Amino acid sequence: MAALPTMRPLGCLRTLFRAQDAFQPQMSRRFISTAYSKRPERVPLPPNLPQQFLSQLPVRMQPQNASKPVKVYPAPPSTSKACKDPVAKITESQLAVLDPKGERKALFDYRRNTRSVKPGDIVRVTFKNGDPFNGVVLSIKLRGIDTSFLVRNELTRVGVEMSIKVFSPNVQSVEIVQRAERKPRRARLYYMRSRKHDRRSVENLVASYVRQKRAFLGGKRQQ
Amino acid sequence: MSPRLPGKLLQLSSSLWDTQLTVPRVSMRNFGIKSLNTPKPSRFNIGPGLPVLESTSTAALRRKANSLPLRTGVIATKKGMTAIFDPETGKRTPCTVLQMDRVEVVSHKTRQKHGYYAVQIGSGWKHPSNVTKSLLGHFSANGLSPKRHVFEFRVKDESGLLPVGQNVSASWFQEGQFVDARSNTKGKGFAGVMKRHGFHGQDRSHGVSLTHRSMGSAGPSQGGGSRVYPGKKMAGNMGNNQNTVQNLKIMKVDAEAGIVVVSGAVSGPKGCNVRIQDAIKKPWPEVAPAESAATA
Amino acid sequence: MIQLKTLLNCIDNSGASVVECVNVLKKKRPATIGDRIVVVVQKQRAAGSEGSGTALANKVRRGDIRHAVVVRVKKELQRKDGSVVRFGDNACVLVNKAGDPIGTRMNGVVGQELRDKQWSKILSLAPVHV
Repeated sequence: MAALPTMRPLGCLRTLFRAQDAFQPQMSRRFISTAYSKRPERVPLPPNLPQQFLSQLPVRMQPQNASKPVKVYPAPPSTSKACKDPVAKITESQLAVLDPKGERKALFDYRRNTRSVKPGDIVRVTFKNGDPFNGVVLSIKLRGIDTSFLVRNELTRVGVEMSIKVFSPNVQSVEIVQRAERKPRRARLYYMRSRKHDRRSVENLVASYVRQKRAFLGGKRQQ
Repeated sequence: MSPRLPGKLLQLSSSLWDTQLTVPRVSMRNFGIKSLNTPKPSRFNIGPGLPVLESTSTAALRRKANSLPLRTGVIATKKGMTAIFDPETGKRTPCTVLQMDRVEVVSHKTRQKHGYYAVQIGSGWKHPSNVTKSLLGHFSANGLSPKRHVFEFRVKDESGLLPVGQNVSASWFQEGQFVDARSNTKGKGFAGVMKRHGFHGQDRSHGVSLTHRSMGSAGPSQGGGSRVYPGKKMAGNMGNNQNTVQNLKIMKVDAEAGIVVVSGAVSGPKGCNVRIQDAIKKPWPEVAPAESAATA
Repeated sequence: MIQLKTLLNCIDNSGASVVECVNVLKKKRPATIGDRIVVVVQKQRAAGSEGSGTALANKVRRGDIRHAVVVRVKKELQRKDGSVVRFGDNACVLVNKAGDPIGTRMNGVVGQELRDKQWSKILSLAPVHV
């Protein structure tokens, strides 16, 4: 920008040019081809044009070659409109078989049901093949038919975790043995895997619960 | 050559001559240049007695006859995944939910006119103002509303050509049969070689700078022609290409809602088009001819 | 996920306490419950601590190469009904070439997958299976 000092006095002229430039470019950039012009109206053929003159017209303008409107057929009824959420429909049909009364669903719907299983509770899960699994509920995943809960226990001084599908036909029953003493501050209690927070074995608790229950039910053997 | 002898002598001592003939003779010396290795039979497919090459379209159709399905396939939309529990065994099967919407036969491709047999299937609905006039005419000529998606499904012969305009419902498939599902995979955009082809990349250190995930060399130098060979795996667009998942079992069919549930996963995002047809690697499903003409 | 160099607890009374996996048999992938592996005994139990007498002295010594069957893994295992099981440690039981357990007792829970893989001898020795 170091202009020669002799040219400086002429610098004031530049502002004059600039003012003119503001108008001119717009005018010069508009071409005749890009200028908007209205589409010309099609001139209709004279109403009583003799037949022999038609051949003088271009082929596409001859009346017999005029474009005919295409007949559009209506659409048949839509199946996707009838069933907006097919995945939910499949899930419902599954639940109707696996959980007809909706008890199992309510037992784990901890967002809506206050009496449901909650993280931190101690549960006893009995399977169809007979052997039970006890433990602390670490988390509940609500995922429709794939709803599952994670149970942790310590068997023979080895930590064992099992994620169980709530609606699995192999699960016979889920009983709440003991509620959490106070509401945990997290939805997923993965910190209970650490040595400091581990509940260790809950077998004794569950055994006493089973004993009490048996006594309450009149000495009947309870599986 | 043995010397010629009178016949009398030959009769007398025939046993003697026999023994002499069986004794190995000294081989004659060959003159001229001769290869030490006996010539091997040509490994090229030339010479007399070879079968005639069949390059006709008829022969091509005959070759494909075993791998072409007897029935047409359908167009469906992927709606998501779920699982199905077997109440008896307790087995959980992950599965994909597909939905068919207004699937109809648009037209045919025939051997006489097009060189092969195929059924053109359309699904969905498109507003007529969004359809080109030529395509609109194609639908209207066959008495159909404009279709959103149109695909061809090859069939073996004319017995597989459903009548034009026929509605194909979800009951076209039976529970327990196997299908192949063809769809476009999820697009991954422009991906590097590590993600796209599983290359190992380069070292974190040892003097490597700024090229930890790049492909390295693209080929040999002067010895290999100083060029990059065709088909060299490089970075580029990944995904959004067609993929066929074979032998998926049909778990559930709901004709009213157009739902077809297949076992396992199907390529592509939710809402993508999936073409399903009878599996070519399983026996064809046994369908009565009357049942095959399903209407809804 | 038992592979080369994995250290496992040995939960039988064969005498080994910690073993190291040196090979996974009949598989090109990491071993899991019910798979047979080759191990090296790295640590042996103090002899006589079993209290059952001299007859049950350590059958294996440090440095021995033995076959073993994995009975617990840390890596979660999915079952047929979609449930997932995870143990707190990796553990195995030493077996001889014929597939019979070397130890006579086991202390510790084992996975039920052993039943599917025909290790009923180990299952009958185990106090608990999950």
